[in-house]
Amino acid sequence: MSEAVATQPTPWFRASFKEWIFTTDHKKIAVLYGMTSLLFFSVAGLMGMAIRFELTAPGVQFLDPDLYNYLLTGHGAVMLLWWAIAFWGAFSNFLIPLFIGARDVAFPRLNQLSYWWFFSASILVLITLIPSENIRMMWTGYPPFSLNDNAGPTAIYVLIIILIAGSTLGTGVNFITTVLRMRAKNVTLGNTNLMTHALISSIVVQLVGVPAFVGAVIMLFLDKYIGTQFFSASSGGDPVLYQHLFWFYSHPAVYVMILPAFGVFSEVLSTMSQKPIFGRVSMIWAIWGIAGLGFIVWAHHMFTSGMPDWLRIFMSFTTVLIGVPTGIKIFNWVATLHKGAIKLNTAMLFTLGGIFMFLIGGLTGIPLALPAFDIHVHDSAFVVGHFHYVLGMAVTLGAFSGVYYWYPKITGRMINEAIGKTSFWLIIVGSNLLYFPMMMAGLEGMPRRYVDYPEIQYWIDMQEIATVGGVLLMIGVIVTFIAWFKGLSGPEAGRNPWNSNSLEWRLASPPPPHNFDSYPVEVDEDWTPYKY
Amino acid sequence: MQEAAVHSEHETSVWPMVVGASVLLAAMSLLTYFHWQQPTLGVILAGLTVAVLAIGVTGWAREFFQHGTEEGLGPIAVAAFIISEVIIFGTVFVTFWLYRITHFDTWGSYVPEGLDATFAIWLTLILWSSSFTIVLSERAFSRGDKNGAMTWLIATIVLGSLFVVLHMNEWVHLVDEGFTVSSNVFGSSFYALTGVHTSHVLVGLGIHLVLLSVLANGMMTSDRPTFYKGAALYWHFVDIMWLLVAANAYLIGGSA
Repeated sequence: MSEAVATQPTPWFRASFKEWIFTTDHKKIAVLYGMTSLLFFSVAGLMGMAIRFELTAPGVQFLDPDLYNYLLTGHGAVMLLWWAIAFWGAFSNFLIPLFIGARDVAFPRLNQLSYWWFFSASILVLITLIPSENIRMMWTGYPPFSLNDNAGPTAIYVLIIILIAGSTLGTGVNFITTVLRMRAKNVTLGNTNLMTHALISSIVVQLVGVPAFVGAVIMLFLDKYIGTQFFSASSGGDPVLYQHLFWFYSHPAVYVMILPAFGVFSEVLSTMSQKPIFGRVSMIWAIWGIAGLGFIVWAHHMFTSGMPDWLRIFMSFTTVLIGVPTGIKIFNWVATLHKGAIKLNTAMLFTLGGIFMFLIGGLTGIPLALPAFDIHVHDSAFVVGHFHYVLGMAVTLGAFSGVYYWYPKITGRMINEAIGKTSFWLIIVGSNLLYFPMMMAGLEGMPRRYVDYPEIQYWIDMQEIATVGGVLLMIGVIVTFIAWFKGLSGPEAGRNPWNSNSLEWRLASPPPPHNFDSYPVEVDEDWTPYKY
Repeated sequence: MQEAAVHSEHETSVWPMVVGASVLLAAMSLLTYFHWQQPTLGVILAGLTVAVLAIGVTGWAREFFQHGTEEGLGPIAVAAFIISEVIIFGTVFVTFWLYRITHFDTWGSYVPEGLDATFAIWLTLILWSSSFTIVLSERAFSRGDKNGAMTWLIATIVLGSLFVVLHMNEWVHLVDEGFTVSSNVFGSSFYALTGVHTSHVLVGLGIHLVLLSVLANGMMTSDRPTFYKGAALYWHFVDIMWLLVAANAYLIGGSA
């Protein structure tokens, strides 16, 4: 790869409108995913803030209970599907072809189609903003409530899931083919970036899991509109079946969200401490171990739903077992830092913060895996606090860290570190103030999902602290958006500002439309992305 | 083995967006029909969906064969897609088996008189022979025998359509007899099993029609077999699934 032949690239953001909407370039499609995702993230964040203000004091302040249910549904569904899952779609699109030294993905047009499926699902979400079309069945859509008219339009919920699944499957087959067949010479599944494994494992989990969710919601649709009896207990159907099918995907879905964040942590930690990632092979096994084990733990969401004891014991055991590969990863990250030349910039801070938040979320998850504890805190604010630590914060900090880390590559500019670091401290302080009191209130018996609660002084205190934290968190996120926006006019980044050996840093910043200068790309036999 | 492939394709394409528009239209037509309860408008939108889809797929195929290059990666993608299809069938099988087991004591009263396993054998023979004809078609195609390929492909389409028509006819008879989706949990899962399969047959037939048209107008030549291989792989999968569907819906479900 010689430096000289690089032509002056047209940055992706200079493309014409026509190029944007008809593009098959993986980098532009990545930006489309990212922008859509950030837009919905902001909307879902505001929904969350509305819920937060409502819960600050007991009694029903300013949200009608039906509207509250809609906001809860919207916050959950959009944060999970449009942010925690879809934002990684942007990373997969931008990075995977660059990591493996490919010209584009295997099926560039299919890639564009996947985006339009996603876009169609986004339009359906916007339709639910109309008051008469509000969905109030929570993102889980459990029957029998979701078949009830008060739950809002079941059809829109079902079609949102189906469209987003179509997007996922299109992306899935595309990227699996890309990684299996389009790697540059001497880039193997053994020496490619951990982020490649992280993204692909999450894509494989979706490919296997999503169809179960689709099957479940199609049956929901048929029950409501055609009159089938799948989930109608009065005719011999079984509503708990829906829960099994739902969680068969939706539990692995949490690994779809967190595994790419693990990938970011590995890349950033290694680069910013200028040390090869410790225990690289065990990291790969841990990633795939988590992805595989994720499929046999789903019933821990249903310990109170009624199921045989052997199933509870089995799923409790497998859930605790997931702590092993996760622990391996955390120890390896810490060992990577040991004696490293650590550079504490914004990307690194977000990664360290993400690992910290994941640790708290993970350690509170282990007791939740035990039925003896879980049945007491099931559906309490403790669970809400727990999953906001892992899915809310570990994923978001990972995603932000990823953007800060690859920002010079994506835009060709450096961000202002001072703004980035301010944002980090606001977010880390705010989110801990927000979610830790939730867990404490939950341990004192505060249930989740209700618009109102009795005047218990401890609950009120916790909710007030949480609201202060929520405001700090929101300001922190806005500061990050400012950092990204102002970064567009920041100083030139050059090819490789972080001194990484990974393939994407060999390209000009931003990468030219055709990525590498010549094909086939070839790397040395002993190449590794983690050589410093 | 891992030569980085060079796509010499254009950086932009109109057609995925057209197909994407048909996806949104399909969703809107379902919403209009079932949720907003405007059946006429819903059907019109469904017709529009098919038209837009046809335009999109035609344009896409034309662009692919006239300007695109071929890496031969299609069958891998189809194989990956089949994994997810297995899960979606699995969902329906799980549902069926759950009800078959939990309702074993009353199951006998659910089974309709007209449910005939020998008819399922006829359906099996028809569908499986279509798997055979598509192999013959593919072989003729790789020999460069366009007429042979088209003849056997048409035979495949005829057999597949015959399967759909006979199967739907059987549904009509069963419904007339009073065995509907809402009769009992066997009714729901019987139509789910056979319905999810028939919908796959219909998708397969749609793919065959696209295949036939690009073959007929000479766009697809024997040096570009990827689409053919992918389509045939999918069709074999659909045919194999039928054996499982029929065995469950007719034999295990039909016995009291």
